[in-house]
Amino acid sequence: MPDYALALCNVTSGAAGAPRRSALRDVSLALLPGEIAGLVGSAGAGKSTLLQIAAGCLLPSRGEARVYGMRVTDPAARRLVGYARDGTAFPPALTVREVLTYYARLHAERGGEPAARRLVREAFDVSGLGPAAELFVSALGRADQQRLAVAQATLGQRRVLLLDETLSALDAVARRDLRGRIAALAADGVAVLIAAREPAALECLAARVLVLREGRIVRAGPLPALLGERVLEVILDAPPREAPPGFRVTETGIEAPLTGRTVEAALALCRAHRLPVRASRVRVKSLDDVVLETHDAH
Amino acid sequence: MRFLRRVSAEVVLVSPRLTRTRLGPSLLLLGAGLVWLRSRGLDPLTAVLEAGALAAVLGAGWLAGNARDRAALATALTHPTTPLAIATGRWSAIVLPAVLLAIACAVASGAPATAAAAGMVAACAVAAVALATVLLLGNSAAVAFFLLIAVAGAIAPEQLVALTNPGIVRLAAASILELGPALWRYRDIATGDLLSFGHALAWTGLGILFASGIVERQRASVL
Repeated sequence: MPDYALALCNVTSGAAGAPRRSALRDVSLALLPGEIAGLVGSAGAGKSTLLQIAAGCLLPSRGEARVYGMRVTDPAARRLVGYARDGTAFPPALTVREVLTYYARLHAERGGEPAARRLVREAFDVSGLGPAAELFVSALGRADQQRLAVAQATLGQRRVLLLDETLSALDAVARRDLRGRIAALAADGVAVLIAAREPAALECLAARVLVLREGRIVRAGPLPALLGERVLEVILDAPPREAPPGFRVTETGIEAPLTGRTVEAALALCRAHRLPVRASRVRVKSLDDVVLETHDAH
Repeated sequence: MRFLRRVSAEVVLVSPRLTRTRLGPSLLLLGAGLVWLRSRGLDPLTAVLEAGALAAVLGAGWLAGNARDRAALATALTHPTTPLAIATGRWSAIVLPAVLLAIACAVASGAPATAAAAGMVAACAVAAVALATVLLLGNSAAVAFFLLIAVAGAIAPEQLVALTNPGIVRLAAASILELGPALWRYRDIATGDLLSFGHALAWTGLGILFASGIVERQRASVL
């Protein structure tokens, strides 16, 4: 059995017989060192709950989470897991350096202040927050706040990184920068599990994607396999009363994956349904499409 | 040692807050106000007790009661620390300026050393209860607690209920004063009363334990 950095085995959250939003049902996943896996799904699908269980913040009602073979509740395992939750809050009235020093002091078991300062320097290197070191936390923009969340999560050489919406609501430049920093951590052997409500944010980062819906992993696989299909987009003059089999209605018309059929066959199906086709095009499937397909299929 | 290191990590957060938030000016104002009241005839022991206890409530509000501060507890718990270390550290951070203010007030008002000791013990007990209160209910509870200590804190419960019609509010206030940390009780510490000292010690321990339980609950909070 490979030495998984993170393994969740048949994890169920919430009391039995009391279904609730965001509860997980029988979720299993395993992450190898250096692997980046993306977690996508609509709001309430259970992404944050899964990360909280993986971080040891929530205890599952059934199943277990393990980090390098140790139960995640084990203090030694907790030391290996870094967690940046969605909307991470930091002590106000402190500067970025003071916040990181506060957390670093908790990690510096031996070596006291010099060790804490070394950890802070490493965190600045990892996050690129050096120029903002003396800024107050309250003065940080969204991108720097996310960098700070990543910096505190990586403090103390964590080997598993759990990131909740770290790439969401960022501009393209900040997103690319953070993606590069996360990829660099993974190249050093850190396993990364990252949740995003905007699946596109993960397309250039995650090697594997897990789609969550109502607390279950309904689809999973390497990103190229999930995105390998092409999609036929059909623009209509008027919205259809009913989409043909295999198609879904979009804002401008209908669309369908070209799995097991040709473009001509799909367009013939549209004509057979007397749809007012104005134009059509074939494009590569996006992660958004995968999430929407999963949503519509259930 | 590890526990102490975790506690000290919390305590060092106090100095930036003293200078950057309104905690520092509030404590100065409180101290100046009590010294002025002393010059107007307020009993020195009451002034010192009020200084310690009220500074503790202000400290709890500024160091732990802020909504962002409470939310940040969940982040701290993802690092190698424990809820008890966090609660003890925050309590120490609250007590430190309160004790200093009580000593300063004792010196400025010419109170004896025993009065200063009573003020320090009162600060410890009130800080623990205030910490648990603000962690649970936020800063609006700190305002209510401040008023309770400032207005009713020095009154013995017998004075509240020894009326023909005490009423439910007076009865509740008297019960709080009887059981909770109150200055009328801690006055006796200045005369060496061990029961009052034990009462303060018990509230200190209970407050910190209760606060650590509330911190533990933050671990699973979703923001």
